[in-house]
Amino acid sequence: MEMIVAGLLDSISPTSLMFVFLGVAIGVLIGAIPGINGPMAIALFIPVTYYMSALTAIGFLIGLNKGAFFGGAVSAVLLRTPGTPEAAATAWDGYPLTQQGKGEKALRMALYSSVAGDFISTGVLIVIAAPLAAVALFMGPAEIFALISLALTVIAGIGTSSICRGLMAASLGLAIGMIGTEPVTALPRLTFDIYQLGAGVKLIPVAIGLLAFSEILIQLERIVLKGVSEHAPNVFSSKKEDRFLSWKEFIGNYKTLLRGTSIGIGVGAMPGLGAPVASFMSYDQAMKRSPHRDEFGKGRLEGIGASESANSAVVAASLIPLFVLGIPGNLAVAMLMGAFMIHGMQPGPLMFQENAQLMYGVYGSLVIASFFLFIIGRFGLRFFCKAVEIPASILYPVIIFTCIMGSYLGQSSMFDVMVMLIFGVIGYFMRKFDFSYVAFLIGFILAPEWERALQQVVIISQLDTYMFFRRPVAIVLMALTLFVIGRTFWTGVKAKV
Amino acid sequence: MTRLQRDTVAYLLISAFCILMLSWGIPTYTPPYPGYGASPALVPNVSISVILVMSFLVLVRNAVAKFKDKPLPPGESEFPEDAQTTGFTQVGRVKLGHLLGFMVPCALLVIGIEYIGYVPAALLFMLAIQYVIGTRTFVQPVIVSFTAVAVLYVTMRYGFGVPIPGPPLF
Repeated sequence: MEMIVAGLLDSISPTSLMFVFLGVAIGVLIGAIPGINGPMAIALFIPVTYYMSALTAIGFLIGLNKGAFFGGAVSAVLLRTPGTPEAAATAWDGYPLTQQGKGEKALRMALYSSVAGDFISTGVLIVIAAPLAAVALFMGPAEIFALISLALTVIAGIGTSSICRGLMAASLGLAIGMIGTEPVTALPRLTFDIYQLGAGVKLIPVAIGLLAFSEILIQLERIVLKGVSEHAPNVFSSKKEDRFLSWKEFIGNYKTLLRGTSIGIGVGAMPGLGAPVASFMSYDQAMKRSPHRDEFGKGRLEGIGASESANSAVVAASLIPLFVLGIPGNLAVAMLMGAFMIHGMQPGPLMFQENAQLMYGVYGSLVIASFFLFIIGRFGLRFFCKAVEIPASILYPVIIFTCIMGSYLGQSSMFDVMVMLIFGVIGYFMRKFDFSYVAFLIGFILAPEWERALQQVVIISQLDTYMFFRRPVAIVLMALTLFVIGRTFWTGVKAKV
Repeated sequence: MTRLQRDTVAYLLISAFCILMLSWGIPTYTPPYPGYGASPALVPNVSISVILVMSFLVLVRNAVAKFKDKPLPPGESEFPEDAQTTGFTQVGRVKLGHLLGFMVPCALLVIGIEYIGYVPAALLFMLAIQYVIGTRTFVQPVIVSFTAVAVLYVTMRYGFGVPIPGPPLF
């Protein structure tokens, strides 16, 4: 009980409050800019959090992620250009409302739905994560190894149309994660006589290169080749009924919001599916169950509520596998996992024992971030709408420069900048060739834990070939892994060749 | 070059890289087996082997599609009309000229910061990158460059106490 009170008190300290507030505000602003999303924002700001305490850093990044999820709806509604993939379904009904001069109303619906979904999902996380983590403590190295193998297989399907390419990307991530000091012998491995690689490839330059720099390279290429420029139409009607959302209009969609939130929580809690799946699934269900299904896609508030409540509910729910099992379910959580590790913590069930006060502080920050999202969105809506009007010719050079100096910031090392540039180019090619950089990054982050679990299993079992067959949970998980791979290949072979 | 040809070349290069790593890179740069636990080369070997096997699988599938005239999935047989910009990947043609145009100033910035210092190198970089993306006016690039360089300098130098190479800005 003392830990809970102390953690919650930490989360309402002025410094923590200020950074959660800043995180949400910056997140909404960044999410509103087309082409920039939450994981990218987290990658760019992780170097800054080096200089913060663990709770402040995590609170800031959580705020950033929550803000970016709502921010993605701004450009989706105003420009029909979703700032994030999960906001794509929001654009289907949001943009038609903008064309009718009701853009502000659509954005208010998106905001209130996001806050509702996020708040309920945070409650569920708080209630179930610690008890589930207590159960997960019974898992040994064999189960952890099998679980990470399963997670990597499932995650290999994200962000690419081919599981082959997904597995290749995840394997490359594992291989890059092997660079550095080998855990058993403590000798350098795969360093190619480059002494800076002795400590391994750092997460920050890799994440900035893959997520932010490569995305900007492609956005710039698009602008240079096609001269694309988007301008927001006039979204602020002078009529009160076109601008504001009445309580009746909002609460009239309560069934859709609850359904969307439930879908978001369910999808978020399962590694590998992610917010876009939740958003589309919720929209689809809302449309099928609505008596006004013909109006979907033409500017129906219910459609916005379905999409936004589901994708925002994923944010907190996706922390469940991280806190319970130490496995990131999506990219944003993978980045948060990296931030935990940078601050000396290994996410997983032991966190509730080893860092209980911090965990309750994180819970407090999650709730506070939801509250700040409501306040910032409610009063800053018009300001954030201006973000979509910043010219690309100003924005993107500044982001490129920020990527470069952000990589330098972590260790004051130009070597990290070079690593970032190399991974920026790798990310560019991965995107062009449809390789999943999500699978790569999660493989890279999980690699040391995966190898550690493997080494523990081998050492404990003294090279017993049947070591896995004596652990029923591990057998089930490995069988599931093989099943996922086998079924995907079989489906692919039947469908394609 | 069609997408099939391009992908085939890419998978051949990936396979060659994997073979190089398995035959030279991993054996040369991995510590010897200490006599307990798993070999330090095990996980690198497994991950690179997975990449190699997957590449072969895709090459075989492409070869079957080519020589037996079996169709590839529509999404993989040709380039999409317009690259996606909000999904996880943006499948499309590689524009090497543009890529070089962006990367050369970045590489020069890395070298420039070490030899002439942060402020002049960063200013030149910002001006160059704005020129590369098509800005042909004078005032806007200068204002953007000075503002970005100064804000990051102040943030890093005085906010975080990070050492900045070269002469001070203030």
